[in-house]
Amino acid sequence: MNDSVATRAAQATPPGVARRVKGLSDRAIAWIFVGPTIFLLLAINIFPLIWTIRLSFTNFRANRPNREVEWVGLRNYERILGDSDIWLSMQATAHFLIWTIVLQVLIGFTLAWLINKKFRGNDLWTTIIVLPMMLSPAVVGNFWTFLYQPQIGLFNYVITWFTGADPSSFEMLGSVNLAPWSIIIVDTWMWTPFVMLICLAGLRSIPDYIYEAAEIDRASKLRQFFTITLPMVLPFLMLAVLFRGIENFKMFDLVVQLTGGGPGSITELASINLKREAFEKWRTGYSSAFAIILFVTVFGLASIYVKALNKVKER
Amino acid sequence: MADVRLASVSKRFGTTAALTDLSLDIEDGDFVVMLGPTGAGKTTTLRSIAGLDTIDGGDITIGGHSVAGLTPAQRDVAMVFQQYSLYPHLTVRDNLAFPLKSPLMSLDKAAIKRKVAEVAEVLHISHKLDNKATALSGGEMQRVSIGRALVRDPAIYLMDEPLSSLDAKLRSELRVELKRVQADLGATLLYVTHDQIEAMTMATRVGVLDKGRLVQFGTPRDVYENPASLYVATRLGLPRINALPANVFGAGAPSGATTIGLRPEHIRQGEGRSTRVTRVEHLGDQTRLHLDLDGHALVTLTDAHSALSPGDTLSVTPANPLWFDSAGARVG
Repeated sequence: MNDSVATRAAQATPPGVARRVKGLSDRAIAWIFVGPTIFLLLAINIFPLIWTIRLSFTNFRANRPNREVEWVGLRNYERILGDSDIWLSMQATAHFLIWTIVLQVLIGFTLAWLINKKFRGNDLWTTIIVLPMMLSPAVVGNFWTFLYQPQIGLFNYVITWFTGADPSSFEMLGSVNLAPWSIIIVDTWMWTPFVMLICLAGLRSIPDYIYEAAEIDRASKLRQFFTITLPMVLPFLMLAVLFRGIENFKMFDLVVQLTGGGPGSITELASINLKREAFEKWRTGYSSAFAIILFVTVFGLASIYVKALNKVKER
Repeated sequence: MADVRLASVSKRFGTTAALTDLSLDIEDGDFVVMLGPTGAGKTTTLRSIAGLDTIDGGDITIGGHSVAGLTPAQRDVAMVFQQYSLYPHLTVRDNLAFPLKSPLMSLDKAAIKRKVAEVAEVLHISHKLDNKATALSGGEMQRVSIGRALVRDPAIYLMDEPLSSLDAKLRSELRVELKRVQADLGATLLYVTHDQIEAMTMATRVGVLDKGRLVQFGTPRDVYENPASLYVATRLGLPRINALPANVFGAGAPSGATTIGLRPEHIRQGEGRSTRVTRVEHLGDQTRLHLDLDGHALVTLTDAHSALSPGDTLSVTPANPLWFDSAGARVG
């Protein structure tokens, strides 16, 4: 086997490189390839995480690097759990999370179900519906602030069609009651297409002949929906909920663009609160502890959820 | 159970005609087997009766009533699909019980359980009842799909090549079982296959389809012995009928005949034209002889312990031949 690819490759290698590579085991070469990636991962993911954990036990302030750092043990964690501001921001996050998921799943599944019907131009409709998802959150937040303008905004104008109220009589972004919903509406507008796409994939994976068999077996349309469509789409739907849940737990960009956490702190989600603690109040140690708590919460909830998802898939 | 009638049914898919002027009478309790190659319209016939495809012309009646415009559920038919069509997320038990849970059946839990157990027993799948439908072999899936039809007592059972994916042993077992079940229940059954053994052994009547037309309909014996055309003659019989120019055995052909059709058993050995043996297949209970007659290939049967070997010479003469004209139609 003088002519093997390896032999020819070795012959084509410049002598200097060949000398250096020679004597290295396969394992060493493997490390050379993987090494840079592992180094980057350690440097920008693992090290900051460990550093954050360390900082969360101190009273370090990043704006006063020369001040002596004290080791405070679990005091940051104790204070967070008793901090009513933090609990309010967690409540705001939960409210936002639950409503966006409920709305996006209901609307997304319904849209997918409608699009999946065979009719002319359904591909065009899919493209149109999916557009919001393709936009940058900064752009979306920016133009929705215009849409929400009481005097010139399209949103208020459309609402008054249905209610007959004066368009400038309510402010979506300025009112304590409406501001949380203004964010939920924008997030739903932007991300329902994503849920729809995943549901559509699920619906398309159900072959026609299963419905034909059910027709023959004299199952009503309603029974077909509950015994065939829903169980077979459920794993897809749960995956969409997982993605949206993790994304929205750390929702930041849209809120900053739309309300900045206001009015007051009514739309101050956990991530907004965290940013404020860390980079406006400069309580670095305290906010590190908060970040760790958020991380553990998401990680824990997601793990439980993935277990449930796997059970559903096995069924 | 009910009789099913098709009157001048036609069906087109775009520009291709799937069924043309198809008329067929299936009596109550009949086991009708439809034979034909791929694309002959067998599956379309089943789907039209079931109501999964709508016909373009003609009429279908079940139990004397036209079913035009009725849904599959309203027609009360059971169907076994060629590609199993099991509900993949359900267990075998739930698959079998699925049709029984229709509110139209109004069965209680105990009755459903009994019925499922009974059918599972017949089809040898009792030990798989708790398996998921996807965790089965092809043969098991096919049996579940047959079972899902058998749990019901519909106007007609429609079966689309239900045994095609089973191994030979199971196939012959189920052939007997299916025939027994049908006879016991007095069920009306329309069965589609391209396996002529299934047609010969199970059918009370055989219909032969060619390009969407019913070219012959009769008892298996009648269709075998009196084929209306060369096409029908080639659909039944194994080895296939030999088709040779009418004059290879000299004069004697009726006027208009251009082809002589010789079933393997219709060749007498020991006299007549001499042929050369090209191949000898010993099958155990019989031997197939491949002969060469002036460049025409010919297959016949002979004694299991035949001493003939390739290169030998054998004289043959036709016995009870079938004659066909240039269009393939039967002459005399």
